[in-house]
Formats: sequence, structure tokens, C-alpha cells
Amino acid sequence: MLGYIFKRLMLAIPVLLGVSILVFAIIRFIPGDPARAIAGVHATPQHIEQVRREMLLDEGLHVQYYVYMSNLLQGDLGRSTFSRRPVVTELRERFPNTVILSLAAMFVATVVGMSAGIISATKRYSIFDYSSMVGALVGVAAPVFWLGIMFQLLFAVRLGWLPSGQMGTFKHLILPSLTLGLATAALIARITRSSMLDVLRQDYITTARSKGLAERVVTYKHALKNALIPVVTVMGLQFGTLLGGAVLVETVFSWPGIGRLMVESILRRDYPVVQGAVLLLAVTFVMINLLVDVIYAFLDPRISYGSKEAE
Amino acid sequence: MRKSLLVLLVLAMMVSVFAYGCAPEPDPDPYDVDNGEPVDVDPDNQDLVIAIGAEPENLDPLKMMSAPAATIAEHMVENLIYLDVDGALQPALAESWEPAEDGMSWILQLREGVQFHDGTPFNAEAVKYNLDRFMGVDDPDNAAVFAFLLGEVSDVEVVDEYTVQINLNNIFAPIASHLSHSFIGMHSPASLEALDAGEFVEAPVGTGPFKYASWDRGNQIVMERNEDYWGDVPMLNSVTFKFVPEAGSRVIMLETGEAHAIMAVPPTDIDRLDAEADIDVVHQTSVRVIYMGFNLEREIFQDARVRQALNHAVDKDALINTIFSGVGEPSSAPIVPAIFGYTQTGPYEYDPDKARELLADAGYPDGFEMELFHPTGRYPQDATVTEAVQAMLQDVGIDASLTTYDWGTYLDTVIVPPDEAEHDIYMLGWGTVTLDADYGLYALFHSTQWPPRNNVSYYANDEVDALLDEARVTPDRDVREDLYRQAIEIIWDDAPWLFLYDEGQVNGERSNVKGLIHHPLENVSAWNAWIE
Repeated sequence: MLGYIFKRLMLAIPVLLGVSILVFAIIRFIPGDPARAIAGVHATPQHIEQVRREMLLDEGLHVQYYVYMSNLLQGDLGRSTFSRRPVVTELRERFPNTVILSLAAMFVATVVGMSAGIISATKRYSIFDYSSMVGALVGVAAPVFWLGIMFQLLFAVRLGWLPSGQMGTFKHLILPSLTLGLATAALIARITRSSMLDVLRQDYITTARSKGLAERVVTYKHALKNALIPVVTVMGLQFGTLLGGAVLVETVFSWPGIGRLMVESILRRDYPVVQGAVLLLAVTFVMINLLVDVIYAFLDPRISYGSKEAE
Repeated sequence: MRKSLLVLLVLAMMVSVFAYGCAPEPDPDPYDVDNGEPVDVDPDNQDLVIAIGAEPENLDPLKMMSAPAATIAEHMVENLIYLDVDGALQPALAESWEPAEDGMSWILQLREGVQFHDGTPFNAEAVKYNLDRFMGVDDPDNAAVFAFLLGEVSDVEVVDEYTVQINLNNIFAPIASHLSHSFIGMHSPASLEALDAGEFVEAPVGTGPFKYASWDRGNQIVMERNEDYWGDVPMLNSVTFKFVPEAGSRVIMLETGEAHAIMAVPPTDIDRLDAEADIDVVHQTSVRVIYMGFNLEREIFQDARVRQALNHAVDKDALINTIFSGVGEPSSAPIVPAIFGYTQTGPYEYDPDKARELLADAGYPDGFEMELFHPTGRYPQDATVTEAVQAMLQDVGIDASLTTYDWGTYLDTVIVPPDEAEHDIYMLGWGTVTLDADYGLYALFHSTQWPPRNNVSYYANDEVDALLDEARVTPDRDVREDLYRQAIEIIWDDAPWLFLYDEGQVNGERSNVKGLIHHPLENVSAWNAWIE
């Protein structure tokens, strides 16, 4: 297992290298002079020239990338051209907030999604089944920024139960995580349902039932564990989507996370921060994928990595 | 996984299309407010929350360039001179300022007995330290972004403990206005010296009515009352600026009471908020004009009649009423009324028949085609306004094809020398942040200011040049005002721009909040405010 993890980590290096080149190139392909954009309309030509020098814009792309990479390898992501603070500091402050939001959203998605999925599967074609599957469809289709504003209007303005945004107490976390988590909950519900239905048709379930086991035991002990394998895959992939969805949710709810930082930095042409943030998200994706693969092994004894028996 | 990454990248790129902007601007005062006497003040409930759209970059005079930075900084850091809400210069840390007889230097008498928040005394040395740092005297590569405000200053001399002499390269009458620019705040020299190389001020140590408490990036800045303030100690215990990029979310915060005041209410929400009993909608002018400049090097725009025709062809009132719910004013001069030196000369009346007539006289009875360049996401509703103008021009036979750019690209595309210009007409805005006509007229109409500077229309008029030059070196404010009046009248008739509108600002506050100052410089100032 350790060997497998090591191999995966090694494989991540070219992926991350590719990501760094891609991001580096893409933001530089945005037409226009970033020095102009950063310096602003009131800037003097001298000041624009100074910004250009600072950002090495007069040098070729390869020189810029070389300098960027050699600094990166020393743990230096540069300074934000906007705040003038080290990018590492900016990311360190913001990233935990996005992780908190994403984890909370994942929690919402898991609890809501799995319960709805399991109940729908066991009470197939019931009113609950239909309504939760229609609900899931809506959940997948509704744009998160719209959902967010609706939640704000209902729970903050109308009912006055929850704060409308910003980070602070636990209460501040509820609406953003609900908004972010619902689409994933819908997806998880649908996958759980179909996967459960699949498993419940298997012979061993019939055997378990014929042994006279209680339906509850059959469902939760025998069926659920196997039904969860595709669900975990989806959850792993979805966690990445959650990090991406955080861009919108963080903006609607003024959540000080990395998604909002990234959007604002793109608008400000703050190259160092955009590069740092995307790279950090890429690393997170890679790690989560690895984690998901490792979790498989625990969930399903048939899956094992790198051991002799598997080969 | 690669797919998710790609999705994320694409998403990030898509979001970049929506750009927003905030004007550089600003300043400090405790010296004018008339909002009645405080009643029903609960001393424990004096923590004011203001929601603004953007977070400051930092609060260092060297790097500050946005209105949010100025608004927040001015609560903690004061200027030598304060520009009040009526556009008058008021003593702040300088009690008086007088030019020498030859106009080549100014003497500033400083307020005595003032201390920075860290206990450092405020004196002439501190002023010299701050101004030298701003101008990059010891380190020219690290002059302030806005160092050009003091571009005519040769050096700063300490005369005695409380007297400073500012020497000039040339006579420069607007210097007092420029000193009032809130990017030139006075920081404790000790605090500035304590900064490491490459580090800039984030926790300012000034002399202001509030002291820095904390800055939670992406979330809020908190300031506490300065009990030792030299002027009237504020009634508020604290002021918190929260950063809420979504205008809709700011409105919701005001409605729920999570914020006592918000900046930049979207036009669509004005009527609804107005109807709520416990919310006041506050209208204030801004210092920014929005215009479309003609590329005067183009054949079609050589004839003043054509330029005037376009000015008559656009219904400015309709733009303001339909797109901005009535917020803003049709431009009546190249600068807004709040600025020293303004003279009302317009607006150009909406008269499509006259426009057609002028076009026919100029030899274009069937109109013509032209390239109209405009930014999107920089000024409120910029793209919508452009489309409306396009339709109005169509009505008099002018066929404008639109080219849209995001802000970063746009500036680089239009602020170019004449031989590189692809546009016939371009949309831009200009905030005269010093509230002195010099910065609004010289920068935009003097023939020495062609790109890469900001006379993007390539306007050149000897008479205007002479008037603007003279106004720069004339200390007498009445004489200057008259010179600007003459210049504005010539510019207005020459019509190097299609004059559009003066932007308005709309803020919102809870009706139990009193004494907030809403400044034309897009500042909200809370030093005299209280909560009932």
C-alpha cells in the first residue's frame, strides 16, 4: 500500500508541472497589458514601466516561467501584485476557510444525499421516492448562485433565522454549506438509489433475507456497504467540484475563501496569486483522488494496490 | 480529475469576463457635520458596520490606489489638509498653508500637541519623512503610485518643530488640493521604519479618530475609538468595514440589519429600499464623468459640427432614467459640479433633427460608419449604455459598430498614439480625485498629455493650453476659477468628447444611524456618527 501511495505521488509531479505550465500560459494569453491593468487609469507612464519591470513582462515567457519555477521550488510563490503580501500568506489565510466550507458542504451532501437515496431505494415508487428524485433533479439543475440568493432571502431576510453571509460563527456556515452541498446531495442521492437497487437485487441479499434477517439488517449491514463503492467514487470527484463551486458560493456569501480570492485576483490580473491558488487546488485534487483510491481498499476487500496477490 | 481541473480553469476564465471596478479617490475630517444632536445613544451599542464592495489592497501611501483603501485609511490616518464634503479645503494636521510671494514654495503651520497612535509626536520631521517617502526621495524606484500628485515638489524643508516648507520646481497652484488627497496620509515614522523591505503598511499607525484593531483578509477590518484623539473623540466604540463583493448581498445585509450602512446600492434596488421605513437611501454626486471621446485624428471628426451633432443625437436623460433609475446627471461640463473650477456650460440638448442638420451641413447627409470601442464591467452598466448610444446614433444615420473589451485589455487598446489607434470613438470615465479642475482638465485636454498619458482624444488647442498653463501658476483662486471657466467654454464648443453623464453614487443606511458623511469622493466617513 505504501509503495502504491508513493508511486501515485510520483505520478502527481508531471500532472502538477503540467498544471503550472497551463495556468502560467493561459493567464498570459489574456490579451492586453497587465501592467496597464494593474497600474490603473491614473498611472503615469513611468509607473506602468516600473510595474512591467517588477513583473518581468519585458522578458520572454520562458524566462518568466524559469524564474517562477525556481522560486516555487524554494517555496516562494512571489508576492501579490495587488496587496503586495507574499502569496503563501494569502493562500494560508484563505485555504482553510474553503476547506471548512467544502467539508461542511460534503457533510450536508452525504447526510442528505445518502438518506434520500437509501429511503428511495427501499421504498421504491413511493411518494417519497418520486418527490426526492424530482427534488434531486432540481437540486442538480439549480444554479448555486441563484439558490444562494433564494436562501438568503428566505432564511436571512424573511425569517431572520440565519446571517446572510460572511464568516463568523457556526450559524454563518449553514447557508453557504447548504447551498454548496445541495447539488452534490442530489447527485449522491441518485447514485445511492440506483446502486442500492442494484445490490438489493443480488442473490446474497435474497439469501440474507431467506435466512430470516430483519430487513433493517439486510439493508444497512449487507447491502449498504457494497452499494457505497460507486458513491465514494462520486464523492471523491465531487469534492473537487465543491472546491470549484466554492468560487460562486464564496462570492454570494462573502466567504473569505480561496475561490473568491482567485476570482478577484483574475480580475485584478494578479498573476502570482492566480498561479498559486490554481496550483494549490490542483494539489488538493490530486490528494483527494489518492485518498479516494485508498478508501476503496478499505471498503472493498477485492481491491488492493500493489500487493502480489492482486497482480 | 483532469476534467475537473479543466472545468475549474474554464470557470475561472469565464468569471474573469465579469470585471468590476472601483475608482481611486478620497480624505479625512472631523470638521464639518450638521446632523442634529445625538439622542437615545446607548454607549454599549456603538459598533458600526459598513459593507463595501471591495477590499483595500493595503493601507500604505506608497501602494494605495483604490477608493476602499482611502475610505478605510482616513479613519485612522489623517492628512495635512482635508477636503470637505462641499469641496472646501479645511485644516487637518496643518493649521494653515500659504504660498511664498514668488509662489515657488508653500509654508505649512502644523497642529501642535498631536501624537500618533504609538505615542510618536507629530511634527515637521514626521511630515518630511512621510512626504519624502511618498515621493521616493531616497528610493526613486519605490515612489508612491500616486507620486505624480507631488510631481512639482522639489523638496520638503523642516523650518522648525511645527513649520514645514514645501519647495516647488514650478509654480503649482493646486498643491494644497493635492496635499488633501487621502493617499498622502501622515503615518507614524516609527511604524514605517519598522517595516521590512518589500513589506507595506497593513496596520496603519496614524493620528486619526480611530485606531487599527484587526484585518481579517477577505472578511473585514475593525477599528477602535482613539480615546486620545486630539479633536472630538468619536461616539462610536468601533467601526467595522466588511467586504461584500455582491451588491445583492450588501442590500440583504442592510435589510437584515447585519450592516448599518452599505456602499453602492444597485439601481434596481433603490425604489424597494426607499420604501422601507427603517432604511434611508442616500444620494450623493461623484467626481467622475463618463464620456465618449472622439479620435480627433480621424477625417470624420475634424469638423466640429460632426462632433456637436453626435452630442445632440444622444438623449442623456433617457440613459440616466432608464439605465440608472435616475441616478446621475447629464454632463454640463467636462468636469462635475463638485470640482473647483467647474462652470456650467451644458448639457447639449437632445435634438436629433439638429443633429441631422449639422451632419448634412458638414457633408454627411446620410451619416457615416464608425468603430466604437468600449469596456465592459468597468463602469456601472458601461456595455448597456454603449448599446443605447449606438441605437440613438443609428437614429441620425450614424452606424457605430461596437468592439467590447475587458478593462485590462481596453486601456491598452485605446490609450495609444494616433498611428496605433483602431477606434474612431471610445468610452472612458475620469474621476477628478483632487477636486481641482487642474487634474480634470490638464490631464485630459492639454496637448502635452497625449498617450501614453490621458488626453486620449488627441485634443490640441493653443488657447486651452495657455489657459490651463496659466491656471496652474496663478495662486489667486478667483482668477484661477475664471481661467478654468474660459477653458471649459472653449472645450465645450470644440466638443472633443461626446459628453455623457456625471455618475451619481447611492448608498444606503439604517435610519437609526446618524452623522455618517457620504463624500463625493466615494468615501463614507464615520467619525461623527452614532447609532440611536
